[in-house]
Amino acid sequence: MRIIAGFEEPTSGTLKINGQNATSLPPEKRSVNMVFQRYALFPHLDVFDNVAFGLRLRKLPKDEVNKQVTAMLHLVQLESYSGRWIHELSGGQCQRVALARALVNQPNVLLLDEPLAALDLKIRHHMLRELKRIHEETGTTFVYVTHDQDEAMILSDRVVLMNKGEIAQLGSPQDLYAAPESLFCAKFFGETNILEGRVDKITSGVADISTPLFSAKGAARNAREGETVSISIRPEAMKLTGSDAPLLAGPNRLTGHVEDIVFIGNRVVYQVRHGDNLLSCQETRPVTGIQYTPGSHVHLNWPDEAVVVLTQ
Amino acid sequence: MLRMYLWLYVLFLYAPIVIIGMFSFHSSPSLVFPFDGWSLRWYEQIFASSTFRESLWNSVIVATAASIATSLLGATVALALIRIKGKMRDVIATICAAPIALPGLFLGIALVSGFAQAGMNRSLLTVTIAHVLYALPFFVATLRSRIDYFDSSLEEAARDLGATTWQSFHLVTLPILRPSIVGAAILVFALSFDELIITVFVSGNESTLPMMIWSMMRRTVDPTINAASMVALGLSLIVITIAGAIFWLQRRAAISSRTSDLRVEANDQVDSTTEQRPQSVRPVQGFE
Repeated sequence: MRIIAGFEEPTSGTLKINGQNATSLPPEKRSVNMVFQRYALFPHLDVFDNVAFGLRLRKLPKDEVNKQVTAMLHLVQLESYSGRWIHELSGGQCQRVALARALVNQPNVLLLDEPLAALDLKIRHHMLRELKRIHEETGTTFVYVTHDQDEAMILSDRVVLMNKGEIAQLGSPQDLYAAPESLFCAKFFGETNILEGRVDKITSGVADISTPLFSAKGAARNAREGETVSISIRPEAMKLTGSDAPLLAGPNRLTGHVEDIVFIGNRVVYQVRHGDNLLSCQETRPVTGIQYTPGSHVHLNWPDEAVVVLTQ
Repeated sequence: MLRMYLWLYVLFLYAPIVIIGMFSFHSSPSLVFPFDGWSLRWYEQIFASSTFRESLWNSVIVATAASIATSLLGATVALALIRIKGKMRDVIATICAAPIALPGLFLGIALVSGFAQAGMNRSLLTVTIAHVLYALPFFVATLRSRIDYFDSSLEEAARDLGATTWQSFHLVTLPILRPSIVGAAILVFALSFDELIITVFVSGNESTLPMMIWSMMRRTVDPTINAASMVALGLSLIVITIAGAIFWLQRRAAISSRTSDLRVEANDQVDSTTEQRPQSVRPVQGFE
């Protein structure tokens, strides 16, 4: 992000913005603006002057500055705060001033460095919706750095997942969630059950995998026969049934007992013990109430599509 | 008992000032009680003395020059310190401020031989140089707290919004540091104004106010000394009060800026009509 903004030069490679080489352009010459993590608002200026800062540097006429700043303050819903000093604002308001100050310059790229990290949970959710709205209204390219997977999934068209300075995966939030390419990615986005197994056989792209206690079946992807793989199954893909019915033979099903039940309002998460494995199974809250208690014997099953094979 | 002690302590601190103050307005030359009545004769006498007026003027010139020079040099140090990250900043800032502990006697002797070797005649210029040297560590120490919480991303933000290096300094860094620099400069003025020990070593024919009072003291004990001291005290007090007021205002601003992060969205619910910006937009200083 600091390379895109121009505060640091890359040790290798080039940076192109809209197809133009910007690798060694100084920050003030780039059509890139940044929302800093701690906002970096100018404490000696009021809200209006903060937002007008970039426009005035470009020597825009006064009434033009006035017009654009007013429009931008309207966009971030801070019209009535234009005469306030920065220290008179709350965290969420500072955030919006920082956003307005950057966006008013109509940058090609807007950089956001963990912009919500300093806010508390409730304001964070509110600002997230605001950001999404402003993103859609302005159509500006946002580059958004976050450690919060929810923020990444809610805001993004494309997510670049970085691990130790390298790109782990690039794709839409749906791709990253449903088809992770690595164990890191599968674990990073959302809750999942990771199990180890061995690929016994691959027939027309579908792998039969055996684990010490049950067998699974799913798209082989790039796995080879005889290979040890991890499989990821999302908790919400698992179906829980009572143990009265006999367990049908076949892959992608197992039996176990409920060890713990976590009630999260609209959802219920069951921790099911199967041998050494503790599996999470998530259901929307049954309207008839929770039928199982810790210790209940249950069957778990899931569709072939839910099995994501990850080579190591 | 403790309260009694506290009053004795206050008496001990302020009795000399009160007594000198009283006797500077005494109508007779007697420096002991009984007190005969009030008069301004000692002030008239002291202001009639050209030595006094000259040395007062010298002191004002030296203190002004020293505070300007110290501010320029010290502010540059502060700007450099802002750009240094982490532990090194603490180390260098401490090195810059440490000479506060240097005895004046040492500085005086070192400077005398220094000026002699450089072939400089002792004059008000050498006094000013000595005062700058003496006051710089105080200046840096005073600015340090401001440096420590100066957010260097402010400069990056300015650059990001299209400011050149010079513009970001001129429009952001300097305006933010200015109140601290002014406060510290006033402190330097006060320090220089009543510096005696180093001045004795490095001054030439012209004397400063503290030196003049000191030499009067050596000749005779004359009631005009009281008046001269009161003038010096008064000037220092004025300057220090201004500095104090500036620091107090700054501290208040700093505290409220720190607590504003903790304030939850409460402000969002504030009636939006309470503060409307006037239609005319005032330009930021220095833009045109």
